[in-house]
Amino acid sequence: MEKNIKKYFPIFLLPTLISFILVFLIPFVLGIYLSFTKFTTVENATWVGIENYIQAFTQDTNFLNALWFTVKFTVVSVITVNVLAFCLALILTRAIRGTSFFRTVFFMPNLIGGIVLGYIWNLLINSVLGMFGYDITYDAKFGFWGLVFLMNWQLIGYMMVIYIAGIQNIPKELNEAARIDGASPFNILKNITIPMVMPSVTICLFLTLTNSFKLFDQNLALTGGAPARETSMLALDIFNTFYGRIGWQGVGQAKAVVFFLIVATIAFIQLKITARKEVEQ
Amino acid sequence: MASISLKNIKKTYEDGVTVIENLNLEINDKEFVILVGPSGCGKSTTLRMIAGLEEISDGELYIGNRLVNNVSPKDRDIAMVFQSYALYPHMSVYKNMAFGLKNRKVPKDEIDKKVRAAAKTLEIEKYLNRKPRALSGGQRQRVALGRAMVREPSVFLLDEPLSNLDAKLRTEMRSRISMLHKELQTTFVYVTHDQTEAMTMGDRIVVMKDGVIMQNDTPQMLYNHPQNMFVAGFIGSPQMNFINCKILRKQDCFYASFNEYNIKLPMRMNEALSLYADKEVVLGVRPEDIYIEKEYFKGDLNNVIHLYVDIAEMTGANYYIYGSIADKKLIADISPNSKIIKDTVCNLAIDTDKIHIFDTVSEKLICD
Amino acid sequence: MKDGKKTNVIAFTVLLFLSALFLFPIYLVVMNSFKSRFNIVSEPFAFPDSETFVGLENYITGIESSGIIDALFRTVFITVGSVLAIVIFTSMTAWYITRVKNKYTKGIYYLFLFSMIVPFQMVMFTMTAVCIKLGLNNIFGIIPVYLGFGSGLSVFMFSGFIKSLPKEIEEAAMIDGCSPLKTFFVVVFPILKPTAITVAILNAMWIWNDFLLPYLLLGTNNKTLSVAIQITMQGAYGSINWGGFMAMLVLAIIPIIIFYMFCQKYIIKGVIDGAVKG
Repeated sequence: MEKNIKKYFPIFLLPTLISFILVFLIPFVLGIYLSFTKFTTVENATWVGIENYIQAFTQDTNFLNALWFTVKFTVVSVITVNVLAFCLALILTRAIRGTSFFRTVFFMPNLIGGIVLGYIWNLLINSVLGMFGYDITYDAKFGFWGLVFLMNWQLIGYMMVIYIAGIQNIPKELNEAARIDGASPFNILKNITIPMVMPSVTICLFLTLTNSFKLFDQNLALTGGAPARETSMLALDIFNTFYGRIGWQGVGQAKAVVFFLIVATIAFIQLKITARKEVEQ
Repeated sequence: MASISLKNIKKTYEDGVTVIENLNLEINDKEFVILVGPSGCGKSTTLRMIAGLEEISDGELYIGNRLVNNVSPKDRDIAMVFQSYALYPHMSVYKNMAFGLKNRKVPKDEIDKKVRAAAKTLEIEKYLNRKPRALSGGQRQRVALGRAMVREPSVFLLDEPLSNLDAKLRTEMRSRISMLHKELQTTFVYVTHDQTEAMTMGDRIVVMKDGVIMQNDTPQMLYNHPQNMFVAGFIGSPQMNFINCKILRKQDCFYASFNEYNIKLPMRMNEALSLYADKEVVLGVRPEDIYIEKEYFKGDLNNVIHLYVDIAEMTGANYYIYGSIADKKLIADISPNSKIIKDTVCNLAIDTDKIHIFDTVSEKLICD
Repeated sequence: MKDGKKTNVIAFTVLLFLSALFLFPIYLVVMNSFKSRFNIVSEPFAFPDSETFVGLENYITGIESSGIIDALFRTVFITVGSVLAIVIFTSMTAWYITRVKNKYTKGIYYLFLFSMIVPFQMVMFTMTAVCIKLGLNNIFGIIPVYLGFGSGLSVFMFSGFIKSLPKEIEEAAMIDGCSPLKTFFVVVFPILKPTAITVAILNAMWIWNDFLLPYLLLGTNNKTLSVAIQITMQGAYGSINWGGFMAMLVLAIIPIIIFYMFCQKYIIKGVIDGAVKG
């Protein structure tokens, strides 16, 4: 049968593969090359070695600032989003009236695009701060917490449905057995529910981690990096380096490679953890 | 209607594992041939090579008189019933059965006639508009049969079609498939790991092990004259008893000697055994060829053994005794009227006419 | 049990309060879209009264000044076209590389997986250059671009499902006289439907909301919704017409809410599947 299918490779494989090669593979390889060159367009690149990388870390303080800001934001978001989402999931898996209504409401923000989300929160936060005579661009703190709030608003519902699915997958008998064994509700939560939803926890942690780390649209719309690039995250900083400063494209590309390496490392760790879990099971 | 001929067939997978080294098999037109053996013996691979689902690494395969090594499945004029039924889950029963004909551009009214006729034979007319998931296992099985039937192929391939059914349905479907064979008058190749299915359905049984044909014979011949220990052990339930023993020669007589017993072997074996004097062999005797001494009147000599009864199992028609002689385990199937008490010793007689002697090393039959 | 009832009442109240909190930002935008542009900034939380209520005026100015209706249709076209292309072509690819097993198909599979972890910024500049060179910087050309970027996750999800499918059904189809192409479209694809819906939803959500890719390829002349909103804000340099802008936000949200109401079950299922597998 295989041999039979094989002959059809131009029809089955080529459309996807050609698009993939043209828009991803070639640009990816080209991108790595260009990070070692000075260029303004793809054609006029001259080799400069690792100079771009050195510049990214030394001459351009924005990059390290953005990295630090991104890390801070990611840590805070991952913790708050997951704790709140898990609590909501716990409440919603109890027999409470209107569960599906609540689930619908909490999940909805996830569907709205980053740009629109950013401006909705821009309005809200500026309206609140406006009462005290401030503006979101007044202090980087406002931007930081604004982004955290926005991220929570967007992702809590998403993570919640994954936690709900995880909790609902726990066999009922397990809870019943524990109750017969005299376990208190807190004991059940600690010794049964949480260990049993660990796979969901891993998934959610990494989803929030990568989503927060790669955040761009929301960042652009909510603060645009203001004040003075202090609230620029990595993705926005790379964008600004590329398109905001003429002659800095090489540095932008070098930053992008670093960004890619960080994200790839996170993904690699996730892969290792998931693979190990699967072996254990 | 076609014969099938496999000549020096070899199958090596891409990872380099050879499952079939050199297989030769002739299947006659209209014959019902069963490929049987333990899992991994290459029986399904052989069937799938006949179907064209598996590539043939070397050798020649003929269906009718046509070399079909490089003919795609759809052009081999075959139909196949799969173990998992492989019904199209999104099509109704009717569409499932009509699909193959539609692809062959058979006129609509003719398709309709054929599908309805097959559905009638298989008693699934009521379910024609249902989806497979709304059917029971037995019904799905019949749809799978029907899908193959309507095609009126010259070769019918069945890959363990009954192994997902419960015991009662399996018995029913066994006779149904046998009837179908009679009715359709085409070649059937049937793969199973179940020796009862093999014995009850086939005109001819091909017993396979590790990609090699161990014996290719009618059910009676396989049962009465197994050519090696593998076939002897595989066919028949409970299994044939194998007793390691030594051949002794006293004048013109040969004896099978084990523990304190010397079983006198029939004269017809003399010639074959002449080379085996004082050598180790394996004596094979089926449980049903062992009798309670008092009830055995054939008048053999030196054929009585004393068996310590571990378990006595009465199933109604049969009475199985699981016992031991020192370190050797033995099963006997005796008359259900006998009275046997567990944990005692009983005297049994072996019907020496039904004894099989095997070579210890090659495991091949020496004589029976 | 009485205790349980009491906690349930508390939980219900908390949830109700939280829902209000979750809906508040959207409420704020919708409410302000009916207020006069000056009142939005000065009294953002005040409900429109007879003085501040302007009816559909904001919507009219919003639509007229920003070309958002064109953007809406453009976004619909790009999303539908790209999602169709992704679902059809990546399912074919996934079937092929799952059924034809050799080192090439394995390599291709891992390349697709790899593409999932590469952030867009890594290829943003070079991809734009390549696509402009190839003339893909228009609303038709962007469809193969989305196919390329969407193929990682989509091939991965389809492959996962196809691996669990019994091969026998396809073999039965081949014996029943189907060519590989027919086997795929008549037998395999209908079975893939649940995964196809998941893949379609995940990609639709991404493409509909995407900003950077259309911004780079289509620029300001062929705005999609996200681009239109961003450009309106960016181009105004602080002197934005808040009324029209609120109306634009509402118009951008409405299609999503409608979509969500009709396909909620599939969306939530799709998101869970996508998360678990991705």
